Amino acid sequence: MSNWIDVAAEADLFEGAGIAVTPCGHDIALFSVEGQVFATDNQCTHGPAKLCDGFIEGTEIECPFHQGRFDLRTGAATLEPASKPIKVWPVKVEAGRVLLDLG
Amino acid sequence: MTTTACSGPDNLHWEGGGTSRIPFAVYTDEQRHQRELDRFFYRGHWCYVGLEAEIPNPGDFKRTVVGERSVIMTRAADGQIHVVENVCAHRGMRFCRKRHGNTTEFVCPYHQWSYTPDGSLQGVPLRRGVRQDGKVNGGMPADFNPRDHGLTRLKVAVRGGVVFASFDHEVESLEDYMGSTILRYFDRLFNGRKLTILGYNRQRIPGNWKLMQENIKDPYHPGLLHTWFVTFGLWRADNKSELRMDAHHRHAAMISTRGSMGQASGQAAQVTQVSSFKESMQLEDPRFLDIVPEPWWQLDDKVPTAVMTTLFPSVIFQQQVNSVSTRHIQPDGHGAFDFVWTHFGFEDDSPEMTERRLRQANLFGPAGFVSADDGEVIEFSQQAFDSKPQHRALAELGGREVGETDHMVTETLIRGMYEYWRKVMEAPEHTAEVQP
Repeated sequence: MSNWIDVAAEADLFEGAGIAVTPCGHDIALFSVEGQVFATDNQCTHGPAKLCDGFIEGTEIECPFHQGRFDLRTGAATLEPASKPIKVWPVKVEAGRVLLDLG
Repeated sequence: MTTTACSGPDNLHWEGGGTSRIPFAVYTDEQRHQRELDRFFYRGHWCYVGLEAEIPNPGDFKRTVVGERSVIMTRAADGQIHVVENVCAHRGMRFCRKRHGNTTEFVCPYHQWSYTPDGSLQGVPLRRGVRQDGKVNGGMPADFNPRDHGLTRLKVAVRGGVVFASFDHEVESLEDYMGSTILRYFDRLFNGRKLTILGYNRQRIPGNWKLMQENIKDPYHPGLLHTWFVTFGLWRADNKSELRMDAHHRHAAMISTRGSMGQASGQAAQVTQVSSFKESMQLEDPRFLDIVPEPWWQLDDKVPTAVMTTLFPSVIFQQQVNSVSTRHIQPDGHGAFDFVWTHFGFEDDSPEMTERRLRQANLFGPAGFVSADDGEVIEFSQQAFDSKPQHRALAELGGREVGETDHMVTETLIRGMYEYWRKVMEAPEHTAEVQP
């Protein structure tokens, strides 16, 4: 069952890093990469860091704490010390708004 | 009496010029202690860190020390054993507090620098700075390379399941370090069978660390100080015995062979020329002396029942009948050391043999029927040393020379150790390593 929720304006996003949103108490990071938007859990699975403060490398997000990396498309951990995947959320942009499907 | 002027940085007065009269000041001076740490524990020598069996699985670690430096013995994901210094590459903090554990990484709590079990730096918080209002502030310099900032790695040697480490990557091989004589006794005990850990004793002894080495190089005292040995018949001054040393005289083995395969004879009068005032004493539980000879005791045509090996400076390997252990000497200033006993057995031990080793371990450790005595005499010796450092101790039993013997009535091993000690401590700074 879809549960699309408006979480941000597309204009709030910028290239190279993320922003944090917290719909219904979920801590989620939004990223914009070459016009495409990604949404993942904001909390790193390795250490107590927020991925929205990290750095985009291609289609990966590098954690600001220990430089572990995750694939923004799948959530897979791609570089140590990250080993557990992060959750990725369905996301779409409509009429300049970013919508998440929280299920 | 002749006096010999000392050359080099250590200007102690050695009465008679040899090492049979040991200045109390070798035990009392903090500056000299620092030089000992530098020359014996941190350069040119191997130090004991533990047993492989203490870290059997990938990610296992044990925190221990080399000299006074905290180190961690780890087993990496690939099974390899590493020893790294417990000093964060960032601000120097001793980040590891747990004595034992299993982990995929070490994280310093101060700034969360993160290291793999082999000591590589894997991540630095805020390395690339913090983004604020569209601009990135701070972070490490662009040329910061994590590869340059791992933990200090020690050189590691493993033999027979025993792990040694050295801060000195130029140190000779462990085998050359032990020398062929001592290596034979080491290999007799650690002959390739997998070890099992039975337990630990830990004690703080308020005395200089060298006194523990001397205690196990001194076959004069057991039949006199240790009334338990005497009363229950485990020690005779006329046991068949040998004292062996490496070529440097720094390591030693005291080998002793009781008749009837190590069985205690029970009666004090038959045990020592020193009469016991407690001849009528009986063990409430005679199983403490339930000694069963083991095939590995045999070395050539001899079957020693006790071999006490001192590996200078950091460890003692004990076989007293069925009780086997390592005893790790961990200095803390000139006037104290921690003494850590690791009691072990072998994977192929029967449950009865394991029980037997555990029972016999009651003789040892801080409250051991025998070893409690050693902790006390070391403490009381140190008290006297500190009160008159200009005085000296005497180690002239068996003469004033150094050499191997086929009897126990000598302090030759102590004289040998100080012969080596003088050679290293009196060497000028740039030749402090007297390795061959």
